[in-house]
Amino acid sequence: MYAKQLGELSETRSWAYILILPSIVLIFIVIIYPVFHGVSLSFQEMQLTKPHKSGFVGLKNYYKLFTDEVFLISLKNTGIWVTVVTILEFSLGLLSAVLLNRAGLFVKVAGVLILLPWILPSVVAANIWALMLDSRLGVLNDMLYQMGLIREYVAWFAEKETALISTMLIEVWKGFPFFSLLLLAGLQSIDDELYEAGRVDGASDMAMFWYITLPMLKPVIVATIVLRVISLVNSPDLILILTNGGPGYSTHVLSLYAFLKAYSEFNFGYSGTISVFMFLILIFFTILYVRMSRLNS
Amino acid sequence: MKNNLKKKSLIILLLGLIVLYSVFPIVWTLITSFKPESDIVTNELQYIPENFTLANYSAIWTRSGYPRLIANSLQVTLITMVICMTLGTLAAYSLSRYQFKIRNQILLFYLVIRMFPVVLMIVPLWIMMRYFGLLNTHLGLAIAYTTFLLPLCVWMMKSFFDAIPPDLEDSARIDGCSRLTALFYVVLPLARGGLMATAIFIGIAAWNEYLFALMFTNSQESQTWPVGLALMVGEFQLPWGALSAGGIISIFPVILLFSLVQQTLVKGLTSGAVKG
Amino acid sequence: MNNLTRRSLIKSALVLPFALQAAKSDLFAQSGKINYWHHFTSETEFKGMERVISLFSSKYPNVGLTQENIPNADFMAKFTSGVLANARADTSMVTSDRLPDMVAMDGLVPITKNVNSWNLKKYFPANRWEGVTIDGEIYGIPAFTFVDWMYYRKDWFDEAGISGPPKTFDEFVNAAIKLTDPSKGRYGFGMRGGGGGQMFILDMIESFGSKIVVDGEVAIDRKKMIDGIRWYSDLMTKHKVVPPSAPGDSYRQIMEGFKTGQTAMVWHHTGSLTEIGGALQAGQQFMSATRPAGPDQHVSRLAYLYNGIMTERNFDASWAWISFWAELDPTIAFLEETGYFPSSAQVAEDVRISGNIMYKAAVDTLSFGRLPPKFIGVSGWASGTVLPEFQKILVGDSTVENAVDRMIKGLEETL
Repeated sequence: MYAKQLGELSETRSWAYILILPSIVLIFIVIIYPVFHGVSLSFQEMQLTKPHKSGFVGLKNYYKLFTDEVFLISLKNTGIWVTVVTILEFSLGLLSAVLLNRAGLFVKVAGVLILLPWILPSVVAANIWALMLDSRLGVLNDMLYQMGLIREYVAWFAEKETALISTMLIEVWKGFPFFSLLLLAGLQSIDDELYEAGRVDGASDMAMFWYITLPMLKPVIVATIVLRVISLVNSPDLILILTNGGPGYSTHVLSLYAFLKAYSEFNFGYSGTISVFMFLILIFFTILYVRMSRLNS
Repeated sequence: MKNNLKKKSLIILLLGLIVLYSVFPIVWTLITSFKPESDIVTNELQYIPENFTLANYSAIWTRSGYPRLIANSLQVTLITMVICMTLGTLAAYSLSRYQFKIRNQILLFYLVIRMFPVVLMIVPLWIMMRYFGLLNTHLGLAIAYTTFLLPLCVWMMKSFFDAIPPDLEDSARIDGCSRLTALFYVVLPLARGGLMATAIFIGIAAWNEYLFALMFTNSQESQTWPVGLALMVGEFQLPWGALSAGGIISIFPVILLFSLVQQTLVKGLTSGAVKG
Repeated sequence: MNNLTRRSLIKSALVLPFALQAAKSDLFAQSGKINYWHHFTSETEFKGMERVISLFSSKYPNVGLTQENIPNADFMAKFTSGVLANARADTSMVTSDRLPDMVAMDGLVPITKNVNSWNLKKYFPANRWEGVTIDGEIYGIPAFTFVDWMYYRKDWFDEAGISGPPKTFDEFVNAAIKLTDPSKGRYGFGMRGGGGGQMFILDMIESFGSKIVVDGEVAIDRKKMIDGIRWYSDLMTKHKVVPPSAPGDSYRQIMEGFKTGQTAMVWHHTGSLTEIGGALQAGQQFMSATRPAGPDQHVSRLAYLYNGIMTERNFDASWAWISFWAELDPTIAFLEETGYFPSSAQVAEDVRISGNIMYKAAVDTLSFGRLPPKFIGVSGWASGTVLPEFQKILVGDSTVENAVDRMIKGLEETL
């Protein structure tokens, strides 16, 4: 029977490769052409609306990056954005995961409630927050006003400083459930016996957390952080709707910039260059981070 | 004992604050969905809708072609979850249990696909989808989604597998199970928390995906719910009430889907669990 | 077979192909399946379009029309992808500011010959075609018009003793200052500093006498541009007659500001009349007026919305669809649902327009209004450089001179 044959096959050395083959092949087929196309674009001057000016220009686009003020601002913003948001999301996620793990009966309900921001589609989430923070119609403004914390409604997205912070808070709101749930799953798979042993040895809660929980969670922590950072760098969803990069360039991030270059200025070549640059940063970060976390093992 | 009570209440309090942060905007969305537009765009903010109405919900149902969009989204999401979880979990198991030289590079390879901004991929992907006749099909969209969600699945499942010591499988194999059987009857049940969490995220991602759905489908056949929602936000209008109703409605099929997933997974895995 | 039958058979055999051909050109000329990409979104627009579609289907029963609604923000993304991937729709909505880019990427098919031999052409004054002509080729048929104008709170004006809407920029500033009262939460002008607001900035440049692009070359008069941008940004930074949220305010916000009684005046076009009319009393609380005149030029835009053809695949059916929008019945049907100003002079004389006092300002504007700036890259430059730099001035991040210099530099790079 097939089951038996499969079972025997699974004992062989090649089983390892058979297991990963389908997914690798799928990914390879799907992305090889787009990636190749994208990379080649980055070396071209390809402005869709100026067909006569297109062609290979080597590294010219890359040189342009370093004198492009908007690119540099976007780079800085992306750095701040990703770092702060990841730290906040991770912390909040870890805290909530720990709490959920100890919450007993409440776990199911609280878990679903915490997941809701992630479930809500970006277009609704962004717009509802825009409504809540609106300088005319916003409930948050109203509440702050009634509590006496502000003297008049604040236009959160109209000032440089508050624009970036507001978008960050909204992104954290939307994204921390990712960490909550996955870290919770990780926590739940830690063997209780380890904690028993710890308690017998007289370890405090904090000590057990530091020496048992965190190390056991490490693979999940590394995986979630890597995935989330990549996600944050690459997707301008919320910012696109909330501020479209403004006011000025204060909420411009690289992914937004690449998008605008392609679909608002039709400059696909330069957009490709920005994208390749983002890719290089991400690869660098991933390798570095994973290696560092391995070192700590 | 008192210490325990104090601890318990602290936990509940903190958790409550976090839940408040998460839930308040959702509650506001709910409240807004019951207000007529004139009560939303107004100087006098209403915390409790004074003119409670269900008109926004009926508008969504009739105008956006809601049933068809939801049906499309559900199908695409389910297909994506099945294919992605299957391929990804198998690969994750392999990467977790076997030592091979290029393992790290393969892991990195899975991630690479997510490192390119989607912007650049749209046009070439479109060309490929057309070549394979996958445009405007649920399967086509599901394959596109699977490809970009595989990294999530592989990395997460690998980390969950890594946390399960191999001794249990080894003892099962000594008892006569093949690797395959051990995977199904020993490892997966132990990893079912991670399995469910990953499946939930894959599902939500597929459900909410907008850009590919916009580009690779057209309104008549296979358009999905997020695109339908986005269409409500127009140049000349933002119908807050209708958008809020749309948001609330988005949530329910997802929750339904997940209780289903949870039940299936739990049933399937525990029924085959090796005792002891 | 007897002779008679054979002869008639041969005869019919000879005639048949021609008969078929004739029938074919009748049937197949306007038959087939075509699709239409557009960015209508509001309920009224949809109702209007549905009425046009049903009228169309009764006239051309053999044409299967599929309309596809694409969110405006992503419209060009889909259009561009369609061109690049050779996945074009048959027909598409075309706005004048997107036209140069659409044509430059070879996204539209010229229809000059068809237009010139079209019986309804005469109802459209010359400037309707100017906005959709590039290098002598026509690329679309006007469907309706957005005429720039402004709304003002008549009741506030009466209360403050201001006799009428401002006619010049000076009157405008003075009225705005007079009507601003932060203690009452009132501001004189709802400035659109967020998305879409770039068009007003371009208006300012021209109002103070500078051109932007002539024959594909930068034609900016730096001093006049600085004056124009300074006048406009002073409204926020110096006179403080705009709400503090202005740098982020887009269409929805300026409309909400006006509807909730925060602002006294707001600039937009005829397309928003129904929306405002739904919240405020026309004639009593608010009125429409022509835009005030700048020191050098009186700038008010006539933006036509066109429908064009993207591919020759089903040319005849596509032509039937886009030219249908110009016919009397569908135009009136659309007008009834949306209140959108028609682009055909014939329809504009209809009593529903000419007899409506709210439309007077638009009718007046028709005589001096001008087309929006039209050059390749205009929309990218305006939204990607002009607007952010202007926002920087508003939030105090840049001087007017520096911002203008960067705008000019951006324009040079675009061309």
